[in-house]
Amino acid sequence: MRLFSNTHIDFMRLARACIAASAIAVLASVAVVVVRGLNMGIEFTGGTELQVRYGDRPDVGAVRAALAAAGMTSQVVTTIGDPAEHEVYIRLGSREADARENPTERILAILRGTTDSRPDLNLADEATVAGLLAGAPGLSAEDARRVAEAILAARREQVIFRTLDDVAAIPGVPSAAIDALASGVTVGPLALRSQSYIGPAVGKELVTKAQLAVVGSMVGMLLYIWLRFQFQWGLAAVVALLHDVLVMLGLFSLFRQEMSLPVVAAFLTLVGYSVNDTVVVFDRIRELVKSQPSGDFPSVINEAINRTLSRTTITSFLTWIVVLALFLFGGEALRPFSFVLVFGIIVGTYSSIFVASPLLILWRRAPAKRAGAAVSGDAKPQAERRARKVRTSG
Amino acid sequence: MSNKPLVWKLALIAGVTLVAAAFTFPPQDRINLGLDLRGGSHILMQVDLESAVRYETDRVQTTLGQVLKADGIPHAAIVATEPGTVEVRGTDPSRRADLRERLDRVVRSWDADEIGGGNWRATMPTDYRRAVEIEAVDRTLATIRRRIDSLGVSEPVTSKAGIDGSRILIQLPGVEDPGRIKDILQDPAILEWKALTYPPSYGGDPGTWFPPASREEIVAQFGGALPDDTEIYPGDVRLADGTSGVVFWPLKRVSTVAGSDLRNAFRTSDEWGDAAVSFELTQDAGRRFEAATRENLGRRMAILLGGPTDKRVITAPVIEGVIRDQGIIRGGFDVTEAEDLALKLRSGSIPTDVHIIEERTVGPSLGRDSIRAGLTSGLAGFLGVMLFMLVYYRRAGINAVVALLLNIVLVFGALGALPFLFGASGVRATLTLPGIAGLILVIGMAVDSNVLVFERIREELSLGKTVRSAVEQGFAKAFATIFDTHVTTTVAALFLGFYGTGPVRGFAVTLIIGLIASMFTAVFVSRQLFEVVLHRHPTAETLSI
Repeated sequence: MRLFSNTHIDFMRLARACIAASAIAVLASVAVVVVRGLNMGIEFTGGTELQVRYGDRPDVGAVRAALAAAGMTSQVVTTIGDPAEHEVYIRLGSREADARENPTERILAILRGTTDSRPDLNLADEATVAGLLAGAPGLSAEDARRVAEAILAARREQVIFRTLDDVAAIPGVPSAAIDALASGVTVGPLALRSQSYIGPAVGKELVTKAQLAVVGSMVGMLLYIWLRFQFQWGLAAVVALLHDVLVMLGLFSLFRQEMSLPVVAAFLTLVGYSVNDTVVVFDRIRELVKSQPSGDFPSVINEAINRTLSRTTITSFLTWIVVLALFLFGGEALRPFSFVLVFGIIVGTYSSIFVASPLLILWRRAPAKRAGAAVSGDAKPQAERRARKVRTSG
Repeated sequence: MSNKPLVWKLALIAGVTLVAAAFTFPPQDRINLGLDLRGGSHILMQVDLESAVRYETDRVQTTLGQVLKADGIPHAAIVATEPGTVEVRGTDPSRRADLRERLDRVVRSWDADEIGGGNWRATMPTDYRRAVEIEAVDRTLATIRRRIDSLGVSEPVTSKAGIDGSRILIQLPGVEDPGRIKDILQDPAILEWKALTYPPSYGGDPGTWFPPASREEIVAQFGGALPDDTEIYPGDVRLADGTSGVVFWPLKRVSTVAGSDLRNAFRTSDEWGDAAVSFELTQDAGRRFEAATRENLGRRMAILLGGPTDKRVITAPVIEGVIRDQGIIRGGFDVTEAEDLALKLRSGSIPTDVHIIEERTVGPSLGRDSIRAGLTSGLAGFLGVMLFMLVYYRRAGINAVVALLLNIVLVFGALGALPFLFGASGVRATLTLPGIAGLILVIGMAVDSNVLVFERIREELSLGKTVRSAVEQGFAKAFATIFDTHVTTTVAALFLGFYGTGPVRGFAVTLIIGLIASMFTAVFVSRQLFEVVLHRHPTAETLSI
């Protein structure tokens, strides 16, 4: 079975059109980012973020109103994940008033909407539950510990108890324990899935670090390609990956995905992939230029792209399968991360063929005659020398 | 071709696989799950270095004041003008040598000079300041460790973090509700004794005077302005009618005994059987305390508890005798409160202000869901890739699948071996959710190398080369490209690992390990598998690829 055997597509005929189309896409993305802005997560802005699960379908509007009534106005409240799981995501920006202190407990109190001071069985920790049960008639301290453990283990599975009947149904929980709980606890409407609080100072620091990571890796790759090929090629590769990053930022802004540290990691991975694809094509161009010093540059590039076309397609497709699986089955926590890669791989594959390679021609049109000499410059990797030796001896 | 090198190479591959497998199993002992997968709390605290310096300055101010007073060296005031600087004002120029001698004794390594007009200034040198800061962090860390240990959290992690090491990272696996623990960890539990500044109009017995219930009123009693050396602190009191209220105490700015002076504390009961806390002071503090109590016989001294910014008076007894290094605190505690306070005092105070600057809690139910999601997506991706490779490259696809599986074993083996490589065998590698994502991406990266090689072999075959030469040249020509792609991605991953924190670093580490493993499996292992086939069928004219 073969994909694209012996293709002779004239990619370079499309060079100008593609570069124009890409330029428009980049400008549009920049415009989208400028107009809509990026949805920065609390890691960069500082603030608090909570994921809670409700027992019944949550009323997001009521949650927003309740938080606003408590003065928490810079909020984002949305449902998250499978609607059947009744999960709500809450994000509060850092304001001076909240900056020094994690407001999670205050938020939970507002969401519970009760002044009942008894512990909430959906939020209490094991020690609290065990403590309550220890006083129950007919339960020894050892029993209390064991029952509390069983209840907490069940909560880990079910996430939330809707009523005490859910607790009574747990194997190993005697009715004496239920009686004790009935008077000692409430069963609140929600359970806490996760919470994060990032102080404003940490946020500023993480922005700096993310910027350093992105700029540093781009410069690092530029330097490496410069070393292995030449400066113009490195620049073409970096322009191609800037194109990828900007287009993805546009999509990211358009779909209101949240920017976080894992997303920055995804962007850098995307950058790595995009450069990979570009390097594969460049490697082949360099090889062909060496073996056919008389060939004209655009047709050499065309041949290089055609010969690597099945590799490019297969690799992109396989990697895409992998990140698609991550996108579909990886859960909410990894969704923005895999979003970048699912779309980024498509954009990155396009850019290595239709952006990086045409740029080589555009920048080289004038000195095209010297192409051969320039390309076979000083950088000769050992592997290639070895490869030539094999060819001559074999 | 002799098959001896091939046997050795295969033995090497088997050896590497076995070592990796040995470091992987049993996985639950080798690989730690991160808090995002097992549930738990992550807390990052910032130690306030500035207030550590301020405390040291306060201590010096007190000591200096007592020494000058004891030795009868006249001076108008001792003022801490800023953290790290103390000025002695209005001294007698004829006692210059005596003052210099006392300054040398109390602030040996400080820079002390006369600044004119009988005023002296002593400044904390930089290395002294740094030492104070480091000690503040170390003592905070030690205190937090003792408190966590006494709380019985299993496998806690506490370490210094941050560029200047002024942060403390705390990880508490399995702690779902960090509220209670946060209170205990953050409470500076600084115990201080301060002498009262009685208002000029108090009249009569200093033992029966009691402060008013408003800030304005106490300022009014001082005639509208507090003396320079006095500050107002709130304190809770139980009123005669059984309700509680707040009064405002005018206290000396300088503490007689500060946070670091406590040697031990226990819950005890006072002569009426009420819960109280007994304490012991260090020798040095005991001497200062003795002097202060002698000075304040028959007057009140306030006991404050709290942090540098929110101290409250918990009780203000009348000093009935000279106390040296032991005493008792009655604050209307119940038994649990007294027990908790004694625990906090015993485990040491936190010598300065600490703020929680980052806090993350993942419930165990979410962690469990994340593991499932990670495994499902990893398995789905892996199966999809394997299926494609087997269909598209037929027998050579088996080769790729073996290389991929080996790659994953190598990544886990390397994660398991990391602690040994870095000499901390007590520490285990931690697998986080982004780490799993990195692992899944490695599958994509590793399969790319196989595709590069296989496509190249096909190309060489279509040029009419023999099977052997096509395999040789396919690998040789693809190598440069594989090398380039791996280096460029590693460059990006290195920057991530360097600037990333926590989970992102886990992602980068997994990715880098995976890339190295992929160079080995896709280039070396895959090649030897082809060699095995070529060795069996040396004259084969076609290759299943």
